[in-house]
Amino acid sequence: MPTYSASMLSWSHYVAIALFGIGLTGFLLRRNAIVVLMCVELMLNAVNLIFLEVAMRTQSHEGILFVVFVVTVAAAEAAIGLAILLNLYRKQGTLELNLFRMLQG
Amino acid sequence: MKDWLITACGMLSLASALLVVLASSPIYSALGLLFSLFGLSALYLIWGSSFLAVIQILIYAGAIVVLFVFVVMLLDLSNTINVGKGPGWFATLLATSTGWLFSLFLLRALNRGVFAVAPPGKMMGSLRVVSQVLFKEYLWPFEILSVFLLAVIIAAYCLARPENLDAENNRTGGAR
Repeated sequence: MPTYSASMLSWSHYVAIALFGIGLTGFLLRRNAIVVLMCVELMLNAVNLIFLEVAMRTQSHEGILFVVFVVTVAAAEAAIGLAILLNLYRKQGTLELNLFRMLQG
Repeated sequence: MKDWLITACGMLSLASALLVVLASSPIYSALGLLFSLFGLSALYLIWGSSFLAVIQILIYAGAIVVLFVFVVMLLDLSNTINVGKGPGWFATLLATSTGWLFSLFLLRALNRGVFAVAPPGKMMGSLRVVSQVLFKEYLWPFEILSVFLLAVIIAAYCLARPENLDAENNRTGGAR
């Protein structure tokens, strides 16, 4: 049986929020499209941590199941996003987001 | 001891997340993402949610990060690394302040939430408990998720295949 103190649980809450902040900053700041997708993954992980924390606080299983669903959707998002990036690279020859000038391929 | 361990895992996760954002090469970013995921997985494990810890390593570290590394290796990004100068100080300031402001709002919203705190005592997050809930109450979302994954497979194939298979055949002399 895991024993954890409530203060440590709320500390993880701050870890999750800091993780979300770092992910959002990178999402806005970085120009490489692959790194931007990685920052989205960071934000999803922060949300997962909060889900788990709420599940631990309320002793309910819904939070844990939502984490499972979020992980699945994140895997799908990474697969589709990277496929789109592959196409983009094939057409434009770069992945720097500030170099894209046209919506039309 | 356990508090110390939780702190260490959280710090590892945060430092690696910083590496994701600050690294100049995407492969270092992928490395940072990997370590960040490992730190989170250790946190899940400490809290007794072994199922989530294994899922985290299997799917995130085993599938998603490997996918990222594949794409980085597949594309020749050497001509785009450090091209020009980085984002200016204004963009950096704006992005950082926006990120942390949003985090502050998130913190405020979370602190307002009132959770009915139950005394810890039940076993949470073990494989047996999670699968019982998953296959009884959440069976339909689970099945819909499988159809969704099938759609994703088809979509990824349609996106990633060569644009014109006939043209590709002509270029390679019909060697297909």
